[in-house]
Amino acid sequence: MNPRRAVVIALPTTVLLVAAVVVFVVDRRTIVVSAPVGTMLLLAALIVAAATAVSLAWRRHVRRAVARAKDEAIRSAAAEHRRFLDRLDHELKNPITAIRAAVAVSDAATPQLASIDAQTTRMARLVGDLRKLGELQTAPMERVPVDPGAIVTDVAATVGDAHGRDIRVTLPSAPWPLPSVTGDPDLLFTAVHNVVVNAVKYSEPGDTVEIRGIERSGRVVLEVADTGRGIPAADVASVLQELARASNARDRPGSGLGLALVRTIVDRHGGTVTVDSHEGQGTRVSIELPVGGV
Amino acid sequence: MSSEAAPRLLLVDDEQSITESLAPFLTRSGFDVDVAADGAEALRVIASQHPDIVVSDVVMPVVDGRELLRRLRRAGDATPVILLTHVGESGERSAALDEGADDYLNKPFDPQELVSRARAVLRRVAAGAGGLVSSELVEAEGLRLDRPARRVWRNGVEVSLTPKAFQLLEFLMTRPGEVHARERLLSVVWGFDFAAHTRAVDNRIAELRSVLRDDAAAPAYIETVPGVGYRFMRSVRRA
Repeated sequence: MNPRRAVVIALPTTVLLVAAVVVFVVDRRTIVVSAPVGTMLLLAALIVAAATAVSLAWRRHVRRAVARAKDEAIRSAAAEHRRFLDRLDHELKNPITAIRAAVAVSDAATPQLASIDAQTTRMARLVGDLRKLGELQTAPMERVPVDPGAIVTDVAATVGDAHGRDIRVTLPSAPWPLPSVTGDPDLLFTAVHNVVVNAVKYSEPGDTVEIRGIERSGRVVLEVADTGRGIPAADVASVLQELARASNARDRPGSGLGLALVRTIVDRHGGTVTVDSHEGQGTRVSIELPVGGV
Repeated sequence: MSSEAAPRLLLVDDEQSITESLAPFLTRSGFDVDVAADGAEALRVIASQHPDIVVSDVVMPVVDGRELLRRLRRAGDATPVILLTHVGESGERSAALDEGADDYLNKPFDPQELVSRARAVLRRVAAGAGGLVSSELVEAEGLRLDRPARRVWRNGVEVSLTPKAFQLLEFLMTRPGEVHARERLLSVVWGFDFAAHTRAVDNRIAELRSVLRDDAAAPAYIETVPGVGYRFMRSVRRA
């Protein structure tokens, strides 16, 4: 509750109390007037105070119930989504296995058969990746102190070497370095790695790719920023979802699962991922993790 | 498995669309193939035909793949089994390995990959290391592993490993002499194999080497196979 609202809520009770005190003080010798009026004012103050307290408690109760219902709705939507992916995975894997076996045993080496083979391989990979993503939401996870600065430095070196790009890393050293977070070092590496690979993939060799680490109000923020092609405004909101790909990303290979994987990993660490982007200017992905961890 | 005859392989799956293509493919790849539509039929075929290896789906009517595996192992039958897992239930992969499957493949898989795995398992069995996957205690040159208790001793002294390092050591030690690709190890230990993160495997190997005081340059237990992965180089026996 903000201070102004607290003053407004407490105002009626305060006014009545002040009035009662004034009445007693003004008429303190005879008490003739002050006794009944002052007592009534005091009683009124008590009643108003009680009414205020009850109303506040009721509002808090309603607010909590609404928040609980909202959490419940989000959780049940997530569970429903997961069940859908599981069913999809389950229904697709046998037909795809059958097609792959049929192609493998076929004698005719036609371009059409090669195409069926290539496309089922692609579908198999997609189904597999969806399943892995589903598994990652529930798989047991290590919880140890992780130095986010070391992860960032490692990722920059790995991606820089693999893609021949210079990745700038800015980490604080004063007043202290980034504090540690609690979690799974391999998964956190994977999350940051995916974001940085995206930054490299959707920018050109002359573009800038930067990773910045910041500590802000009990959170560690890792920002991965690039001056690449950016994401069209209409697609920004959906790029963290499974199979979503920006409309200007079709020329680069990708499954549309990379950022969904990042989101899943960060979620499981009690953190959040946000994407800011301007098409033609670049993209900034921010991974926020609680200091000390979940 | 005799060297001159084709190894007998029993393929168990209730999906006819899969068996009717996969069986001829396996035959062409050099196996003598029998097909069963569920676990109960598989048990009857195993009793009469004594296959060298069983490749079984998990989700099937009557007796499912895991029940088939449990019944075989309970009866002391060490016939190697490769499970074709339907993972959605994320525990299935490790459960399959814990219950004594020799290997597993996630559907949909590359048929050629199944052939390579089956051959690798048969080689392992021929080398006398077949029963290790269903042994509770295994031992190699001063290294002792209690699988159900998740405990490790080196020269009689207990050492402590993270759960993932233990899983990795367990997988390597129960499949000695074989080269395991980093991607495969990643999927075994992690359940996923998103490319480019195989350094997670390297980190666990580094942990294992440091705990086991194994020198990467002159290894006593785990050898790095350049460009591929890792291999447990000592012979392992049931303890």
